[in-house]
Amino acid sequence: MAKLKLALYWAASCGGCEIAQLQIGEKILKLVEAADIVFWPVAIDAKYKDVEAMPAKSIDVCLFNGAIRNSEQEHIAKMLREKANVMIAYGACAYGGGIPGLGNLFNRKSIFDRVYGETPSTDNGGKVVPETKYQAPEGELTVPEFYDTVRTLRQTVDVDYIIPGCPPEEKTTWLALEALISGKLPPRGAVISHSIKAVCDECVRKRNVKKVKEFHRTFEVVPETETCLLEQGLLCAGLATRGGCGALCPQANMPCTGCYGPVEGVVDQGAHFLSAVSSVVDSNNPQEINAIIDNIRDPAGTFYRYSLPDSLLRRARTK
Amino acid sequence: MPLLKKMLSQFGIEQERVRLDWVSASEGDRFAKLVAEMTEQVRKLGPFSSNGGGKNG
Repeated sequence: MAKLKLALYWAASCGGCEIAQLQIGEKILKLVEAADIVFWPVAIDAKYKDVEAMPAKSIDVCLFNGAIRNSEQEHIAKMLREKANVMIAYGACAYGGGIPGLGNLFNRKSIFDRVYGETPSTDNGGKVVPETKYQAPEGELTVPEFYDTVRTLRQTVDVDYIIPGCPPEEKTTWLALEALISGKLPPRGAVISHSIKAVCDECVRKRNVKKVKEFHRTFEVVPETETCLLEQGLLCAGLATRGGCGALCPQANMPCTGCYGPVEGVVDQGAHFLSAVSSVVDSNNPQEINAIIDNIRDPAGTFYRYSLPDSLLRRARTK
Repeated sequence: MPLLKKMLSQFGIEQERVRLDWVSASEGDRFAKLVAEMTEQVRKLGPFSSNGGGKNG
C-alpha cells in the first residue's frame, strides 16, 4: 500500500496539540511507517509555497488544530481543505473555538485596546496597534488581519472528522490515527472518541443527591476525593461533556472544564452545562438563589470555556 | 433564570428579552396579557442583531 500523505497545521492555538500528537510515543514509529508527513510547521521545514504547489487532493489527511482568528489562518485552512482528502479538526480550538474562542466576548478594538494599551506592563504612548500594511524603505510589509470574531474550523471549511480535547488524549489521537492507517473510518462527520456519553459515565466518584447551597472556585477549597465534585459545589462540566478522556481531571481532584465538547446529540454545550448547574441549586427563595449564583463569577467563561464560537449565540454583542 | 440572565448580560443581551412566567390553562386573559406585554417590551428594544463587531463580526 502506498504511504499516506499527512499534513498537520496550527492556527489559533497554544502548541499543546503538537505536544499531544508527539505523546503517542513509540507509536509514532508506526505512524511514519504508514504515513509521510508533508507539512508540519512545528517540526519540518516545508513552506506555504510548497503546499500551494501541491495538486488538489494530493494530501490524504490533514490534522488541523487551532481556531480561525485571522486572515492567515483562514487562508491556510482553505488551502489545506483544497489539498486534502480528509480534513480533521484536531483539538478543542479547531472543534469549538477553544480558549481563543473566549475572545468572542470582546472584539478586535477592545482586545487591541487592552493588549496594546491598558495592560500594566505596556508602555505604548503612541497607542500603536498592528496595521495590516506598513511601508518600509525596503518595501511593503504585511501582517495578517485580526478578525473581530473567532470562528471554528467547521465554520470556515468543510470538516470530515473531529478529534476532541484540550489537548486530545493520547488514546483518542491514536484511535483516530489507527482508523486512518487501517482505512476503517467512522461515518463522515463523526467526533472520534472512545465514548459518546458524558464524562460522568467514566467518573468513579460517588453520586448521591445533587443539591448545592454554595459554589466554590477551585482554589478556595480542597474537595474530598470520593464524592461527585458538582455535589461539593465545584462547577464540574462532566455531565455536559463528552467522555473518552477517562475522567482524568476529576480523578486528580479537579473539576472537568469541558474540553471534549458536548455529548452526542447536544448542540450547545454551555446551555446544557448551565441548565444542569441551575437544576442543582438547592433553594426556592429568590434572594438565596441570587446569593448562591453570585459565587459563579464568570458564567459565560465557565459554561462556554471551549465552545463559545460554536454556541448558538457564537459571540457577545459589543459596541 | 437568574443564572441565565446573569450569563446573557455578559453576552450583551438585554434582560428584557427573556422572561419566564407561569400561566394556568384556565387563565386565558392572563396569557394574552403577558404575551402582549412581552411583545411590546421586545418591540421597544428593536430587532436583535448578534453582530458585535465590524465587517468580520
